Amino acid sequence: MTRWCLLLRSADLGCRKLLVWTAFAFLLTPATFAQAPVDDASPVPLLTGSAGFITGFTGGQPDLHPIVTPLVLVPIGQRWLFETRATFENDLVEVPGRPGFHGGPVQKEVEYAQLDFIANPYVTITVGRFLTPFGIFNERLYPVWIRNLQADPLILPIGIGPSNASTGAMVRGGFRAHPEFNVNYTIYFSALSTTTPVDSDRFAGGRAGVFVTRARLEIGGSFQHLMQQERSNLFGFHAIWQPVALPLDIRAEYAHSKRGSGYWIEPAYKLSQLPFLRNEMRHTQLVARYQQFFTGELPSDALPPVNTKEFEAGLNYYFIDGLKASGNYGRQFSSLGNLNVWSMGLTYRFVVPLGHAGEAR
Amino acid sequence: MRRNWFLLCCLGMTALLVRSAIAQDQAKSQKSANASVAALPAAAHPAGTHDGAVPSPDTDAAFKERMARLEGEKRFRTNCGRCHQPPHKFPPRVMATAIRHMRVRAMITDEDMRLILKYLTE
Repeated sequence: MTRWCLLLRSADLGCRKLLVWTAFAFLLTPATFAQAPVDDASPVPLLTGSAGFITGFTGGQPDLHPIVTPLVLVPIGQRWLFETRATFENDLVEVPGRPGFHGGPVQKEVEYAQLDFIANPYVTITVGRFLTPFGIFNERLYPVWIRNLQADPLILPIGIGPSNASTGAMVRGGFRAHPEFNVNYTIYFSALSTTTPVDSDRFAGGRAGVFVTRARLEIGGSFQHLMQQERSNLFGFHAIWQPVALPLDIRAEYAHSKRGSGYWIEPAYKLSQLPFLRNEMRHTQLVARYQQFFTGELPSDALPPVNTKEFEAGLNYYFIDGLKASGNYGRQFSSLGNLNVWSMGLTYRFVVPLGHAGEAR
Repeated sequence: MRRNWFLLCCLGMTALLVRSAIAQDQAKSQKSANASVAALPAAAHPAGTHDGAVPSPDTDAAFKERMARLEGEKRFRTNCGRCHQPPHKFPPRVMATAIRHMRVRAMITDEDMRLILKYLTE
């Protein structure tokens, strides 16, 4: 407790503000679901997103990471959707000679702002700044309330551009191609932008996947052609499998580029089948991840400088819908030295309707 | 000193909130479990033909409705659970926006979107 007080006392004004906003986001949600008088199924604008407080120890160095990620969704008419997500985060670290933890100013970033037009059941057109759909992690698993382990996979920077997003246009869709499987696809083009923090590379690419509904297996691949610098090709594969008979969830990705390649595989098992403490066990999930990274022909600032492998194992506890506590331990092996990686955190997904929500039936 | 009190209050309120949310969650689970048990006899005999009576259009429509909801629940578990923990039910207008977002983000099919929305809002 004394350490926490010391930590908070020594934090900069910006960090304190962020901590207060994080606490505010935690407190905000349930009150907003008071019964609304409108009983209508037309979509309402939403403020949703997540807040989290992640504590990490990498090689014995502690790092506190408060993060708030609001997402605004504005449906327009029957076919349009405007969506934008921002991130407010900070890294608080120990500074030699000063007590407590210190961070710089709060990092603020608009991660994406895109306008979607659902043209028909097969095609959706997106313009603006969007998360680069290379692999599945960046686009679908990135938010802190979704990811099973809080650390990013080592290969995440491959294929997603300098700030995880692209600036341009995208055509995408998902449809039932056969009674046994669905197909989803994305084709996109990104223009060069050198304005920080909305920088992006000039590339074009696509991703396609097949979801076998009966087996609950999704497999797919991504391709990208970089139209600047080394003008190289990048490719990757992904898979998600949820066996019907078990509360098991296996995700995996592989990515290859001239700047490096690697893979990760992540099984997560809910303990709901255990015959004791059923109520607690159905909220508890064991998770592990093994990953390897291999350096490429060219260097990259975002990727590890040497071949690296890492194993992590952890536990998630879901208190209620959207509120999760997580803790995990990992060991990283590389020629630069082996490291222990610890992480603990509390994350929350909030949903606030910006208008009459309608009455739950 | 005042700051410490403020933080302590924040922590206390968060703990209280989590406790009440868990209690609500448990009450909700209990309620839905009771509802499922109550619905079981109806689902087992959808057309009410114990005595060989011809099903009326009303019961037929109700059966179809129930099957659509079951299918919606199945699609909900399959699609939403692929990336994250399936969320609880939200009010209909909130769900309509969230499902449109997932139509774009997770590329769920048009049919899945409709069935899931039906399941989550009715």
